[in-house]
Amino acid sequence: MEAVTMAKAINLSLHDALEGDEQVLVFGEDVGTLGGVFRITDGLQKTFGADRVFDTPLAESTIIGIAVGLALRGFRPVPEIQFDGFVYSAFDQIVSHVAKYRNRSGISMPITIRIPFGGHIGAVEHHSESPEAYFTHTAGLKVVAPATPGDAYALLRSAIADPDPVIFFESKARYYMKEEINPTLEVPIGSARVAREGSGASIIAYGPTVSLALDAAQAAEKENISLEVIDLRSLSPLDMPTILASLQKTHRAVVVHEAPVFGGFGAEIAARISDDGFDLLQAPVTRVGGMDAPYPPSRYEKLYLPDVDRILEAVDIALAYG
Amino acid sequence: MADQTFRLPDLGEGLTEAQLVTWRVKEGGHVEVNEPLCDVETAKAVVVIPSPWAGTIQKLHARPGESVAVGAALVTITGQGAPTPVAPRPAEAVEATPGTLVGYGPGAGPQAGSRRRARVAPSAQQAGGDVRAAPFVRQLAKEKGVDLARLTGSGPDGRITRADVEAATSRATPTTPAGVATTTDGERRISVVGIRKAIARQMVRSISTIPQFTEFAIFDASTLMAARERQKTGGQSMTPLPYFIRAMVKAVRAFPMMNSSWDESRDEIIVKEAINVGIAVNTNQGLLVPVLRGADQLDLVTIAAQSARLIEGARAGTLKPGEMTGGTITVTNVGASGPVETGTPIISPPECCVVAFGAIKPRPMVVDGQVVARPGAWISISVDHRIVDGALATEFLSKLVAELETLSA
Amino acid sequence: MADVVRVVGTDDPVRPLFSATGELKAEARSGLGLDPAALRDLYQKMILIRRADQEALNLQRQGELGLWGQYLGQEAIHVGAVAALEARDWIFPSYREFGMAMCRGVDPAEMLTWFRGLSHGPWDPRKYAFAPLAVPVATQVPHAVGFAMGSRLRGSDDVVLGTFGDGATSKGDWHEAMNFAGVFKAPVILLCQNNHWAISVPLAKQTAGSIAERAPGYGFPGIRIDGNDVLGVFAAVRAAAERARRGDGPYLIEAMTYRMGAHTSSDDPTRYRLDSELQAWSAKDPIGRYRSWLQGQGLLDDADVAAIDRAAESMAEQMRTRLRAAVPAPAGEAIFGRVYERPPDPFIEEREEFEASLEGP
Repeated sequence: MEAVTMAKAINLSLHDALEGDEQVLVFGEDVGTLGGVFRITDGLQKTFGADRVFDTPLAESTIIGIAVGLALRGFRPVPEIQFDGFVYSAFDQIVSHVAKYRNRSGISMPITIRIPFGGHIGAVEHHSESPEAYFTHTAGLKVVAPATPGDAYALLRSAIADPDPVIFFESKARYYMKEEINPTLEVPIGSARVAREGSGASIIAYGPTVSLALDAAQAAEKENISLEVIDLRSLSPLDMPTILASLQKTHRAVVVHEAPVFGGFGAEIAARISDDGFDLLQAPVTRVGGMDAPYPPSRYEKLYLPDVDRILEAVDIALAYG
Repeated sequence: MADQTFRLPDLGEGLTEAQLVTWRVKEGGHVEVNEPLCDVETAKAVVVIPSPWAGTIQKLHARPGESVAVGAALVTITGQGAPTPVAPRPAEAVEATPGTLVGYGPGAGPQAGSRRRARVAPSAQQAGGDVRAAPFVRQLAKEKGVDLARLTGSGPDGRITRADVEAATSRATPTTPAGVATTTDGERRISVVGIRKAIARQMVRSISTIPQFTEFAIFDASTLMAARERQKTGGQSMTPLPYFIRAMVKAVRAFPMMNSSWDESRDEIIVKEAINVGIAVNTNQGLLVPVLRGADQLDLVTIAAQSARLIEGARAGTLKPGEMTGGTITVTNVGASGPVETGTPIISPPECCVVAFGAIKPRPMVVDGQVVARPGAWISISVDHRIVDGALATEFLSKLVAELETLSA
Repeated sequence: MADVVRVVGTDDPVRPLFSATGELKAEARSGLGLDPAALRDLYQKMILIRRADQEALNLQRQGELGLWGQYLGQEAIHVGAVAALEARDWIFPSYREFGMAMCRGVDPAEMLTWFRGLSHGPWDPRKYAFAPLAVPVATQVPHAVGFAMGSRLRGSDDVVLGTFGDGATSKGDWHEAMNFAGVFKAPVILLCQNNHWAISVPLAKQTAGSIAERAPGYGFPGIRIDGNDVLGVFAAVRAAAERARRGDGPYLIEAMTYRMGAHTSSDDPTRYRLDSELQAWSAKDPIGRYRSWLQGQGLLDDADVAAIDRAAESMAEQMRTRLRAAVPAPAGEAIFGRVYERPPDPFIEEREEFEASLEGP
């Protein structure tokens, strides 16, 4: 099929999920009539009706709260949180209930919460957050972040089909990235992919930083440095075997994410590599990411967010260890 | 008739103790289930404790006004008929936290879950020493039998790098030889792997980190050749090498600084005790340097035998990693064949001196004012100028020449 | 432009049953259609759950439970509300509704394992149509509304009861849920058990306004009733349920009662409330009052009372024995067993490592 944007891929995925299972419901702010502020849910209400695709009042906590009730009633809710920065109102319902309901009661919560995240779009405050670490840190949830349109399609299908709750992070800066997708290809939750093979160092990234890592690898090639890029795709569960296999080759790792480095998800990856792959390392694992300061006004975001130079600097440091 | 002792439970305020205010029962008296037993005062609240069992009060274990610890016996009751055998146990590890309105787990009842296995202390680990090397490098060294303590790191701050370990092992079992790759545009590309790569790294490291200079001398080999003839007549055919080695060892004994290493990371010179002579050997795979350990302890015949064995092993590729490491000074033969007289050998890090011998052949020498033909050979030594100045190098070389010309015992 | 204040209630079948002060009218009381056995059963249930509450407190004092939160004084609401619903109607409780759980058939000894630290969810919600306890206040109200929305989507006439205290009505989730209930016309009865206290904060400090009167602001009726009258609670909940079943949407019932006990067994209410207040409410005790009414109606005699008391004692002993005999699940199962329906590999590995590190099962 011809190339589609990530936004369109997600739209197709929701469409196919709604078509394939009558229990799937899509709801949130502005997702019905308007089709979503990013047009991700465009056309879905028209096709499937207002009983299955509907607008809610402006209340993130209860958008998730009713998802719990609907899941108990036997539905497969796919609520949308309009922007990363607004998920905080729903944090209690997500971590106290969505994540724990099955543990408490034996009843599964097949809820997929879609959250556009990340920066680089010149937005105002609260629209460029990367809150994934709060959720990877919460037992009972699965957390995924596709980097390409194809993976967005496939991972969303997997997330919706999963009987357990999944937080689905969509890189809004990549909504308009185009790629040919194959809807029949399945991507299971918990599997990373090697986006580019290399031998000098492994760049581990997810979501918006995967393309950045690929750019860095291309630049490094000109300096005769060969970089391998791993697209995690799934944060929790984390695909350590793929990471370790890569380190068998390269012996050096650099993790790249937009979220602040301090306490960020990269810390878990680095610690786990140290735990499971200590003897593979020729250099310490480094992390490239945001600063330990609130996301800045958009004029400064390019300085705050990781870029090719910062990735290459981290690679240089790793290589200097010999 | 079962005797059961009721112990003061943690009443949910993070208690460690309570004060008994009054008993509501007497010893010998009868009590029903849930009948009030006593009043205790916790942190600012008086709580009535009901009896968990029916029966006769056997013994009251505290007096009014007394402080009772959580878990301490309160009352023993002799029951009629045996209810549950479980007596309430105190909460383990009760901390004196301020009273919270949501209690923590009960101290009573069957223990939920099991204990963790007892920890078995690990056997004493060997001290890592001050060697700085990344985990992979250590692992590699372990696998290859390389002693990290004997290497000087070429990485930042003297870290031992992977290249250092590989170079140390490159004198060992030959790895895959260089392969031939593509051919384009009148040029041929050979991919560099294994020994070639290790040699390359080692050479670059030597030249770039060690300020080396070379001194030259010629020695009169007449005495040496005569000694060889005598050995041959005695049934023992020896190359000049054992004589070179023995003379060199004696010279090193006189000038121990020639047997040392420069430690960049600590600004120290490590003077080595044992004299382990590296013998440069040309093989199909490239230059290998097996090590004759403790050469200063060996007599000439043993030096001859062992060095011959090492050279053969190097050529055959049968040497063990331990035979390829730990050298403290290297000897090389630059004049094996052809017209080459001498050369400027390159030091093998982390050593500070390499001695090159040229071919022994007839040379014109001036003896007692006459030009005569005598067997002689060039010796060139390259030394690390950080450790060895020209004066010392000259003294050492002079001593070496003297030893070779006299072959002292 | 619409009226400044819209009066909601033209389709309100609850209000006509009550006086202006929230008391069940006499004709409504006699017109409930409950036969003598059913009426006595309400009394028996109140006695049983009160006895269970008392026994649980004793067990806590004996160290068998870490904590207990009494519902003493609120029995009329627990019993009346459950009796007014059908077994298929789900109930979403807060953390104090053990009396309601018992009325739904949950075994008290199993229920109490929650306070014994053995389980976060000792019963199967689907079996009893009774959701797990919700500790973060008011977070269950959106669940109730969502479930009710789901019923509506299915075209079912199930209704949902979401119950909470006065304190919960201060929380964002409560207001959001009320709003959703109105917007989506969810078939949900929102039952506020106003027991006048949120730990030590009295009603007057919890809200400046009226709880019942908020409902019209969200688009549906509300009423304040005497929550210590079991028949009044029964009548209000049943009428509201019938209305919801018809598709007329949510109803807010604010049932006035009193928390006779402490907030929990770790609380000391003498520090913040007057004994005189407690005495005044004791005089309005729901069980004493109903017993008198039944006896006055000739529906309950001394023998009945004694038999019911004996049944309560027997139940209490069962509870005691069975609770103490409760066997904890193995640690691995308790910690890891129900987290995921489809556990990921790293999770499984972690569980295996954990179980291997234990001595016993």
